[in-house]
Amino acid sequence: MKRFLKNTAAVAVIALAGMGAFSSSSMAAGKLSVSVALDPGSWDPIDTFLVAWGAVGSNLFDGLTERDTNAKLHPGLATSWDVLDDGVRIRFKLREGVKFHNGEPFNAEAVKFTFDRLLGDIGAKGPQRANYTSVKSVEIIDDYTVDFHLHQPDPVLLTKLAGYGAMIVPPKYIAEKGEDYFNTHPVGTGPFSFVSYEPKVDLELAANADYWGDKPKVSELEYRFISELTTAVAELQAGRVDIVEDLPISMLPVVKGDGKLDVMSTTGPAVYGLRFNTRDGITADVNVRKAIVMAVDRATIIKSLLAGEAEEIASFQSSLSFGNDPELKPLPYNPEEAKKLLKDAGVAPGAEVQIDIRAGNPTFNEVVQAVGAYLQTVGLKAVIKPYENSVFLNDIVPQGKTGALFQQSWGGWTLDYDNTAYLLYHTGQKWNPYGSDEKLNAMLEEQRPMTDVAKREVLLKGIAAYIANDVLEMPLYSLKAIYGVNKRVEGFVPAPDNRIKLNTVSVKE
Amino acid sequence: MAETRKKRFARPSMELVVGAVLITLIVLSALFAHQLFPEGFDRIDLMSRLTPPFLKSIHPLGSDPLGRDVLARVVAGGRISLLVGITSVIGAVTLGVTIGLIAGFYRGVTDMLMMRFVDIQLALPFILLAITFIAILGGSLLNTIILLIVSQWVQYARLVRGQVLALRDREFILAARAIGVKDWRIIVQHLLPNLTGPVIVLMTLNVANNILLESSLTFLGLGVDPTIPSWGGMLAEGRSYLQTAWWVSVFPGLAIMLTVLGLNLLGDWMRDHLDPTGKTSI
Amino acid sequence: MAGFIVKRLLQAIFATLVVTLLVSYAIRMTGDPALMLTQGAGSITEADLVRIREALGVNQPFFVQYFGFLRDMVTFDFGRSFLGGTSVAVLIGGALPSTLVLAFWSMLISIAFSIPLGITAAVHKNKALDQVIRVISLVGLSFPNFWLAIMLVLVFSITWNILPPSGMSGWLSYIMPAVTMGVILMAVNVRLVRTTMLETLSSQYIMVARAKGLSETKVLYKHALRNCAIPLITYMGLQFGGLLGGIVVIERVFNWPGMGTLAFDAVGARDYPVLQASIMVLSLLIIIVNLLVDIIYGLVDPRIRTE
Repeated sequence: MKRFLKNTAAVAVIALAGMGAFSSSSMAAGKLSVSVALDPGSWDPIDTFLVAWGAVGSNLFDGLTERDTNAKLHPGLATSWDVLDDGVRIRFKLREGVKFHNGEPFNAEAVKFTFDRLLGDIGAKGPQRANYTSVKSVEIIDDYTVDFHLHQPDPVLLTKLAGYGAMIVPPKYIAEKGEDYFNTHPVGTGPFSFVSYEPKVDLELAANADYWGDKPKVSELEYRFISELTTAVAELQAGRVDIVEDLPISMLPVVKGDGKLDVMSTTGPAVYGLRFNTRDGITADVNVRKAIVMAVDRATIIKSLLAGEAEEIASFQSSLSFGNDPELKPLPYNPEEAKKLLKDAGVAPGAEVQIDIRAGNPTFNEVVQAVGAYLQTVGLKAVIKPYENSVFLNDIVPQGKTGALFQQSWGGWTLDYDNTAYLLYHTGQKWNPYGSDEKLNAMLEEQRPMTDVAKREVLLKGIAAYIANDVLEMPLYSLKAIYGVNKRVEGFVPAPDNRIKLNTVSVKE
Repeated sequence: MAETRKKRFARPSMELVVGAVLITLIVLSALFAHQLFPEGFDRIDLMSRLTPPFLKSIHPLGSDPLGRDVLARVVAGGRISLLVGITSVIGAVTLGVTIGLIAGFYRGVTDMLMMRFVDIQLALPFILLAITFIAILGGSLLNTIILLIVSQWVQYARLVRGQVLALRDREFILAARAIGVKDWRIIVQHLLPNLTGPVIVLMTLNVANNILLESSLTFLGLGVDPTIPSWGGMLAEGRSYLQTAWWVSVFPGLAIMLTVLGLNLLGDWMRDHLDPTGKTSI
Repeated sequence: MAGFIVKRLLQAIFATLVVTLLVSYAIRMTGDPALMLTQGAGSITEADLVRIREALGVNQPFFVQYFGFLRDMVTFDFGRSFLGGTSVAVLIGGALPSTLVLAFWSMLISIAFSIPLGITAAVHKNKALDQVIRVISLVGLSFPNFWLAIMLVLVFSITWNILPPSGMSGWLSYIMPAVTMGVILMAVNVRLVRTTMLETLSSQYIMVARAKGLSETKVLYKHALRNCAIPLITYMGLQFGGLLGGIVVIERVFNWPGMGTLAFDAVGARDYPVLQASIMVLSLLIIIVNLLVDIIYGLVDPRIRTE
């Protein structure tokens, strides 16, 4: 019965969308189906940090700013902005004539409502608020101008405004229907509007013919929640899903070998590496750390295990990240030198090196096994210890209970090295269980409030070089964002993060 | 009756032969894994990843994504599967038989407590709980074994208690008691021998069952940890290579099937011969 | 009989309490849901975490939380998911029918095949046909069910593309999951039918029927089968718990939107309310089915009650 109702509702909406298409100039046609790993459970922007939400949210909602597939910032619902008062005030000019999916107008009121809600009692219950604590208040100047007052300058705020919690929500709709209803019946200004949602099954959207930007080219957009990637690929092969995100490396040959499908990839923000326990054991010695890094042939690992779908890194950021220095080179692969360093440091052959990893990432698991094999060749005995995710992230790493090496993977969606480096290397931070370096702390603190972009970049590069020199980690690779796409999909541009706006994509029937 | 029995023993059935051959092969290969594969099962060779089977003599069943030998890993996985299957059953038998004997022999508080416990455990959706718990507590070899013991001892306890209750008032036991034979002697000399048949049948079938459960749990990422070569783990790892390198997951899958089949065949045969009254039948 | 039912009911309630207590306690050992929710966050302060914990209600002592949960359950208020605040009742309302429908078809498939096979085996006792059926059923019992599922997907979805590889959409999508579960159940049931049939066939009652000159088919499928019904129903009732356990695995492989998927995802997300409620609902379901089986059995065979 439920299904029946849902289907009739969908038919009705398609009919409506069809009628809307007649009046607008562009004809939207066809249905695009995308697989998403997880159902976030709520479509309210302030409720979640899940990448899955980000993928869907960018098509339902808009932020004041927008980040394109090259990770460059563009005007979104704000047409322009000025950073004033040494960075503690930002004035936004808002786009005029934009309407929410329910017909409600977008204006300064909506922006203020969105941030009052995020920073107020409702936001306090959710996780997103933590990302926007630099915002003190939003002041309405006129209907289409707002001022953001900040507690302190926040160099990453403009990027953060492009996604997640900063997506603009409709004040009247939420006031009328209530918070709960909004969670499962979202309304935004984005290129697609809500049609139906069946928890754990799918979310269906329809083209928003009044969208302020490029009008969507497909009339229906469906997100299906498929947790197992192998299942998602099977669906892709069966032609029941058009786009699969985060394609596992192990399945690349399958997708490539299928005449109906394409693999598309682009440099992504996610980085992987192994960090050292710099406090105890043999890895407290910088030369031992150096030897361990030099013992591992990272280039070969990328070429063979990762099918070339990754890039070598020298610091904990991808080449897209602000603060990345292409001049900084990783330590070379040199097992002879590594053996010598180990010998000089007095490390006995056969010394045990424990590598702690998170269970459940088959690709990284393979990489670590290969790392272990390389360590074997220089006379170290690698013992790999997998932990369940939550245990690893809460009880092992932050408590400083790791082995000599431990996995560090970082999403890095803000694409700014500060966000990573501060949390990974500043004393007392959750992800820095071992180090305490006054000089490094000072460097990290110095760049934070800086509004001079060029100067901040120089400082960030300096931080990366300092860390590389002290060999605090074995940087391994930045993984490309890899998509499996049906060839009937046209105009799809792989994005570094999963937040792809699908309004420029069309499908061949 | 005695005659037909003899006759049945004299003509080895297909079940027995196939089962015995399969299990002997698997047990022997597990026991002599180190002699068969002196290089070990986790020698990584990135230069010869995913070699197809039957081509090179160094990898008769092919190699996996890290260039490790599939045959050596299947054999090593057998050790883990047998280890889990056998230790968990031994644990469950020890616990179950002891408690069942005490409960059946002495009745009283132990018996009452045990029966309450059995009632509860039988009312619980145990497999479901097992999966929940192991998902919560995290999977490991030890957790898997403990879980299997906890879920199965009740079967033995019930079986033994029932048998003891049926026997304890029989004349030969009463007579032994009357002449002052110690309790433990009665148990060891008169009760245990009568229990071995059904218990061994149940054990054989449970080893098979546990091997299947362990591989399911490991496949879901809840069993033994992924660095230990286990059949379930190999299937999970090989799953995404199924279309491009079938041998990575097909051989461990076959290994599970053949082992479980062998044990089931043996158990089935034994049920006919060691437990003719069918106490263990379903 | 009334006393027996009351006793069983009390046991059922007690068992449910034990289950929920264990599960509620265990899931709280996995760690802080507030940390889980904020995993992708750039900078999280202790104050943020305290605030979120308060909103989730996990800052209170365990027993306060547990009794709160029980109180809510009694009033049929299943609470809200930590993930997005969806009503747990809505989630379970969506998932439970999916699982039950799958369980129903699995059982039906297993019965449809195991009865004729079991009877044939019994009739041809110890002959070649019996041997073949017994071995086939053993092979069915020896398959890891997830393995069978993957193989079916490979053949029917990827190679031939005639069945959908996952999800619950239209009757075609039921075939592979139900067959996978059905095969395992069938393997057990064939043996059960065979055993009970053998007992029945040697009974006087059947000899009388035969002596009356009834056709063999009628003897087998009408008289003998009716006699087997009780043990069959009983055993299938007892299978129900195992069936649901197996379905958890199969749902995972087929991305079936049922209770298994719901509970499994909830463990991963530390979504206490969803996990507690779904395990409680499943336990109750199994307990009720077991209870019904006991009652049927008790009615038919009064000896059971006294033991």
